[in-house]
Amino acid sequence: MSENILDVIDLSVEIPTRHNILKPVDGLNFNIKRGEILGVVGESGAGKSMAGNAIIGLLERPAHIADGEIWLNKKRIDNLPAESMRKIRGKEIGMIFQDPLTSLNPLLPIGEQLTETIIEHLKISKKEALDRAITLLEEVRIPAATQRINAYPHQFSGGMRQRVVIALALAAEPSLVIADEPTTALDVSVQAQIISVLKKICKERGTAIMLITHDMGVIAESADRVAVMYSGQIVEIGKTYNIIKKPRHPYTVGLMGSIPALKGDNERLVQIPGSMPRLNNIPPGCSFHPRCEKAFEPCYNKRPLLSKIGDSKVACWLYDEGYKNG
Amino acid sequence: MASKNILVKVNSLTRIFDVSKPWLNRILEREKKQFLRAVDDVSFSIIEGESFALVGESGSGKSTVAKMVVGLLDPTKGSIIIDNIDISDKNKKEELRKLRAEIQMIFQDPFASLNPRWRVDKIIAEPLKSFKLEKSEKQISARVDELLSLVGLDASDGRKFPHEFSGGQRQRICIARALASKPKFIVCDEPTSALDVSVQAQILNLMRDLQDEFGLTFLFISHDLSVVRHMANHVGVMYLGRIVEIANPKVLFENPQHPYTRMLLDAIPDLEMSNKERKPIEGEIPNPIDPPSGCTFHPRCPYADEECKIKIPAPINIKGIMVACHGVARGRIPAKQ
Amino acid sequence: MFTKIIENFQRARNSDFLYSFTKSPVAIISFFISLALILGAIFAPFIAPHDPFNPATLNLMNGFSAPMQPNEFTGEIFWLGTDDQGRDVFSTILFGMRISLFVGFAAVAFAMVLGVTLGLIAGYVGGWIDAAIMRIADVQLTFPGILVAMLIFGIVKGFTPIEQRDEMAIWVLIIAIGLSEWVQFARVVRGATLVEKNKEYVQAARLNGRSSTGIMLSHILPNVLGPVLVIATISLALAIIAEATLSFLGVGAPPTQPSLGTLIRIGQGFLFSGEWWIILFPALTLLMLALSVNLLGDWLRDVLNPKLR
Repeated sequence: MSENILDVIDLSVEIPTRHNILKPVDGLNFNIKRGEILGVVGESGAGKSMAGNAIIGLLERPAHIADGEIWLNKKRIDNLPAESMRKIRGKEIGMIFQDPLTSLNPLLPIGEQLTETIIEHLKISKKEALDRAITLLEEVRIPAATQRINAYPHQFSGGMRQRVVIALALAAEPSLVIADEPTTALDVSVQAQIISVLKKICKERGTAIMLITHDMGVIAESADRVAVMYSGQIVEIGKTYNIIKKPRHPYTVGLMGSIPALKGDNERLVQIPGSMPRLNNIPPGCSFHPRCEKAFEPCYNKRPLLSKIGDSKVACWLYDEGYKNG
Repeated sequence: MASKNILVKVNSLTRIFDVSKPWLNRILEREKKQFLRAVDDVSFSIIEGESFALVGESGSGKSTVAKMVVGLLDPTKGSIIIDNIDISDKNKKEELRKLRAEIQMIFQDPFASLNPRWRVDKIIAEPLKSFKLEKSEKQISARVDELLSLVGLDASDGRKFPHEFSGGQRQRICIARALASKPKFIVCDEPTSALDVSVQAQILNLMRDLQDEFGLTFLFISHDLSVVRHMANHVGVMYLGRIVEIANPKVLFENPQHPYTRMLLDAIPDLEMSNKERKPIEGEIPNPIDPPSGCTFHPRCPYADEECKIKIPAPINIKGIMVACHGVARGRIPAKQ
Repeated sequence: MFTKIIENFQRARNSDFLYSFTKSPVAIISFFISLALILGAIFAPFIAPHDPFNPATLNLMNGFSAPMQPNEFTGEIFWLGTDDQGRDVFSTILFGMRISLFVGFAAVAFAMVLGVTLGLIAGYVGGWIDAAIMRIADVQLTFPGILVAMLIFGIVKGFTPIEQRDEMAIWVLIIAIGLSEWVQFARVVRGATLVEKNKEYVQAARLNGRSSTGIMLSHILPNVLGPVLVIATISLALAIIAEATLSFLGVGAPPTQPSLGTLIRIGQGFLFSGEWWIILFPALTLLMLALSVNLLGDWLRDVLNPKLR
């Protein structure tokens, strides 16, 4: 029954430099269904934000999509001209960024910004647009929305501003929202509030959400499925519970172990040696092998592809039948 | 374990910032001077060789406390006694100079805390030269190599510039610099909040190893409760410039007393995936320039009554837990399920 | 030692700085024009075909020779012609540039040392010292630089004995122009210092017992030099023009040590009598010099400012 809102097939992003070509995103495959939150988790340099920007067509030159296809509601969007892509952004894809101030015009009251976006995409009267704006603000749980519709962005706190941005992203009733680190700049208590707003709109409106974050906690709280990224590739993708409770890829295992626990004894944290490779120095084969304790022969020169293991998909030679016992 | 020697003692520390607009604007706009009580009557002590953590959300004043404790900022009121010397005592110049080398700090931003134009060996050697701890250039360079290997870097890394390192490696360099003067006490201001989790684990493990090896005392500032629980022997929870609760982290996490602590713990994302039902969080941190009267948490507190609106709660001690709450003192607050 | 040189060389070759230079035709052309003019000025005694300041070698008969044409009396050919006293214009330009560039460089160096020092102190120490320095700077900015220079020039001239005036003139020019340009340096350095002083590496240095002077010189100064370099280049062009203006107005370099400005002043007397070359060539040289240095400064600013890239 559940249809795919977003289909990403073999997506690669390249940045040519004067020395070589960098590949911040390398062969991504995933989809997001209606009313689903897909968490994309990874450490800095994993290419998660770059992937988000590629989907909304906001790559900054010289970065460009080098390969692959992006389908939104059964319509291919990666090869559209800039002008049609601009119309799709806002109308069909909403965006939420880490810093709410980058999405808001400091010189306009929030009501005006909302109605402007609504009128542009929905072609309704100003009166109706204003009503919709108030409904939206109430939907993201801004108290006293009617009174605050004429307030300017600086009159809101960080958490309230992020709610306004969410309302703005939802203004044209997009089928997909891409949220890039929406809670990173916020305090824990405010973060919890924003997560619950995102979950609510996903459930009530059936919006598909791509939630990009580095914080496993945020993922655990909100996502239905998770894609774990490492140096431009998805190393593991599956149901959130499975990834968190039964991680399979050695990187995911290390990542989960390195988070200090809130229960039990303060044991020494699991640590992955080294750090994410720089883009100009990605190892051959499985790009995680220099940091992997379990690396063996095929890992050094053959790149593992995502394959189904149980309920999840994992890109790791450890689970390959051909190598399992040999 | 036998001698519980208090290394750091902070008494009624208060810091008020003047956040007024410039004089001319005040006259024109008929506004009064405005003051921000960033830190208000904060007291705690740290036992030698232990870690004390201050946790709180932005604007709680935890970093201001850190800056005052290391001496980067002068307190408006209150005293800080480290190794039995009051650091504001200007009569003890010679002792303070010696004490200076025993207090170090690790900062949040590994990119801003290293001078981009200095090579790493020069950065690490700075405390050695400034405090005249090693005599010859040869001794200095030997000590720098030793420090580099202590934090898991290679001696050859000393010839590089900071931009050649990743965030985690830079934080290692910062730790090496902090260790150079053989300090007793290190203040860590959000040392891992700019790092990725896997790198954070490396740094936290390193810090604990070093603490065991050198008997270091830490004051740990963080907004991340899981990090605090992992690192600290005692945790102080701050809200709007005041400490509302001090407890052992396990006790604090299992049996939080103050309603704010409960709310904060409730807000942490649950990696257990237990799908527990939780209370939605009420409201946001008020404007610290114009804080609520009485207990500053009362507008958000489900248990607040008239007393909370008028009177600032004094800290009370219940079974080793320090808590500043009228509700807890009067037994009005139900135990946590 | 040798490996270190190679290492530095390789760093330079891989640097973005050099790369962006090779990608900017304007920067390359400006650089080589500036370099040629500066080298010409430095080696003027060896390059110049004549010595315009040695009366023994001058021949009044050569006066008013047109460029590239044999003199009607002596038959000598001068590339850029001669002036009324028979001095070779090409040679006077080379020697004039020496004065102009010397005054320019010295004035900028003076302004830079003064401005950077005051800016560092204002930014790092803050408080009333900051207020005092910056208010003086504000007041100075309300006068056009050239007026300030003329004022200083006039005052100092009043104190120097007549026989030393010609000798002193160059130094007075340097101080006058330098004093009118320190404000820019001070403002930029103060701003950059305010940013740097709140960075954590400065706090770490304070914790490690470094003195304020030590922190200013060893930590902050190296980190604020980027913008200073840009201003220095642009100021050089301004200083050269300021010198020319002062000299043109007759309050600058004396006729015994003519700068480009002095040459233009002398030349303008002959503009309407048909001897256009006496003014045109010095003026063109001044234009090329100021323009190429300025364009170089513009390029430098773009390279050093990551926001514009």
